This record gives sequence, C-alpha cells and structure tokens, in this order.
Amino acid sequence: MVHEDYKEMIPARALSALDAAEAQVLNEHLENCAECRQELDEWQATAAALALGANSAEPSPRVRERILDEVRKELEAPPVVPFRSSPRNLWSSFGSLGAMAAAVLFTALLVGLVVLWRQNNAIRSELTKSKEFVELVTSPGAIVTELKATDAGGGATAKIAYDQSGHAILLASKLPRIPQGKAYQLWFLVGDKAMPGKTFVPDSNGQGVLKEQVPSEALYLARFAITVEPAAGSATPTSPIYLYTPMSITY
Amino acid sequence: MLKAIAGRDEAALAQLYDRYRAILFGLLMRILNNREEAEDVLQEVFLQVWRKAADFDESRGRPFTWLVTLARSRGIDRLRSLAARERVAVAGAREVSEDFSDAATDAFKSEQRGLVSDALAKLPDEQKGPIMLAYFDGLTQSEIATRTGAPLGTVKTRMRTGMIRLRELLAGQGESFGF
Repeated sequence: MVHEDYKEMIPARALSALDAAEAQVLNEHLENCAECRQELDEWQATAAALALGANSAEPSPRVRERILDEVRKELEAPPVVPFRSSPRNLWSSFGSLGAMAAAVLFTALLVGLVVLWRQNNAIRSELTKSKEFVELVTSPGAIVTELKATDAGGGATAKIAYDQSGHAILLASKLPRIPQGKAYQLWFLVGDKAMPGKTFVPDSNGQGVLKEQVPSEALYLARFAITVEPAAGSATPTSPIYLYTPMSITY
Repeated sequence: MLKAIAGRDEAALAQLYDRYRAILFGLLMRILNNREEAEDVLQEVFLQVWRKAADFDESRGRPFTWLVTLARSRGIDRLRSLAARERVAVAGAREVSEDFSDAATDAFKSEQRGLVSDALAKLPDEQKGPIMLAYFDGLTQSEIATRTGAPLGTVKTRMRTGMIRLRELLAGQGESFGF
C-alpha cells in the first residue's frame, strides 16, 4: 500500500468508520507519517463540526454538581505517601494512596508509554502475536503498564494494556504453577477497594493472556494486582498478592 | 482554559463545562437517545478533561475539536456497550429532546448551527447517509454496507466524497465557529 492509499482512508478514520483490520494498518502508518497525522487532525476538525448537526440540549444541573464534587474530592486527596512493597502490607497501602499519586502515575505512564514500548522487545514480540492487542495498544490514549512480582510471584512478569474505554488485555509469563482448582485472578485497585476481575489459568509454560474490561471506576486511577483464587474467582482477595502495579515507575 | 484546568483550576473546569455542556450533551443525546446514559457519559467526559487537560496539544487542533472528539468517542463506546447488553431503545424510535438549550447559554449560536445544517443539506442523501450512520451511530463502513445493502466499495466512495464536499462547504468557517 502506498502513501496515497493511506491518505484516502483518513476521512473514514476521522469518523472511526474503518473496519478493524484497516484501522490497524492505518494506525501503523500514522505512527511513522507526520503528514498523514496532520491530515487526520484536519479531518477530525471537519468531523467535529458534525456535532453541530445535533440539537443542543440541556443536561440536569446535578451533572455539573457531580463533576465538581468529584474534582473537589481529588483536590482534597491526601498527598503521596511512600510506598512499601512488602506483600503483607500491600492491601493496606493501596487504601492510603492519594489521587495525586495516581495522577502522577497516570501522567508518567502516558509519557513513558512510547519509551516503554520501544525498549521492551520481548513484550513487543508477544504483542505481534495478537492483532487485537496491537490494535488496542495503538489506539489513541492507550496505556501499557507493568506489574511487579512479589516474593509469592517469584520471577513472574506481566503487562496490561488498556484503552480509554477500558478494553484491556493482560499478558503474563513465568507464572508459578498453581494447584488444580485454582486460577489467577486480576484485581482493580480503587482507593481502599479491590474490585474483582476475571480469572485465568496459565499454560504449561506459565504464560497467561486475559481480556478484560476495566471498570469505569478504575479507569483513571488504574492499578492492578493478581492473586491466586478458587477457579470460579473470589469477591475479595483471599491470597497474598503475586503481582501488582508498583507506585514507583522506572522507565 | 485547558491550560488552567491542567493546572488544577476547578473554576476553569466549571467555565468550560458551562460553555460546552449544551453542544456536548446534545451530541450525546443524539448518539445514545437516553438522558440518563448521556448525562453519565457527559460526566465521564468532563472528568477525563480534568485529568487529561495537560494532554491537549493546541498545535493539533482547537479545544472544540478535542472535546467533541472525546465526547463522541465515549458516547459511541457507551452505545456499543449498551448494544452488547441488548439496547432497550428500539432502533428508529429515537427520543426527541424537547429540552433544547437556552440560546443564551449555548456557546454555539444558531447561525453557526445553520452553517452546518446548510452544508449537510447540500450533500446528496447517498453521501450524507453513510457519514451520519458512522458519526452518530458508530457504524463501520462494512456495517453500513450491510445495513443499507450497498456494496462496500460504494459506501467507501460515497463517504469519502461526502466528507471532501463537507470540508469544502465548511472551509473558512472554522474561525467563526470557534472550532
């Protein structure tokens, strides 16, 4: 496909009307073509004008109140506390982390996304195995974050990618073997709550893949943990943490 | 205003909300056809703006484009997730909002809306149809082909031709729109 072919696809891309395979091909081209990126920006302005084709409407006043209440809560959140990575203390530590820490983490993740992506050849080769994964991580605003193993997790590694709408894929490797009837379970850490995610059983090489939907409550302050639970999953964690998102980011 | 929001200025967020709520809520109502869902997504959008205002790059476009693109994207995501859970709303039975915004609080005057309406009115239906199905219903070109019975290649050509024509018709209007 030549440059002009990609350019022809851009108006449809601005309407997000391309089929998944075409969108993926174009996204890959956009990464390396400043001219097409600029073209897309221009087409997005045209597409945005279509919003004026809808009648304006007045939301209830409580929406404004809810937004500002949420914003005030974040502004009043306690400052960053030092993070200790002892597995025994992890659950209690998560509860005391402030929104500021999350904001710093979030920004750092965004800034570090490209760097992380390019540096980690191993994960890149894994990602190319999955079209869906590539599409996910190349979508605008996608985030890739690394989970760190505790002593219980041994040499395990994991990365999770998710987009703005919460579509997420977890890739884990070198996971310790678990007994029959048990499974690994993903958790979303929000404030002092651990929201249950899906369970998965790794293959014989200790590799696991999990498609998930990050709950909207967890989307902006997304931190993750993995435990070992009964195969059907638990409502609250019953085992030590095997992997978790650390607060200190080292890119 | 977005710079102030990135600097954690709550009043600037309130000001941005007051300026754009009517246009964004109208867009979300058109996409979701459900007041409760549209209000929920509107809230998500402004919280995302609060948390990601620093990501806004003015060299890549105007705040209007950024906000509308963000709102539309989250609206379509919500629409798809509702569709996955079997939408309650019956296709074609769109709820018509009687609750139009007071023109005084709507940053986008009727004249500006008129320019877009005029431009859309000048597009042949065969070009306007696929554009509207993609923009407000979140359909891909293949889905539009299936729904309308037109060959995929025809849908692609009509959509592209329509977008080029729309851009020509709106050319030079960006400044007056405040895009």
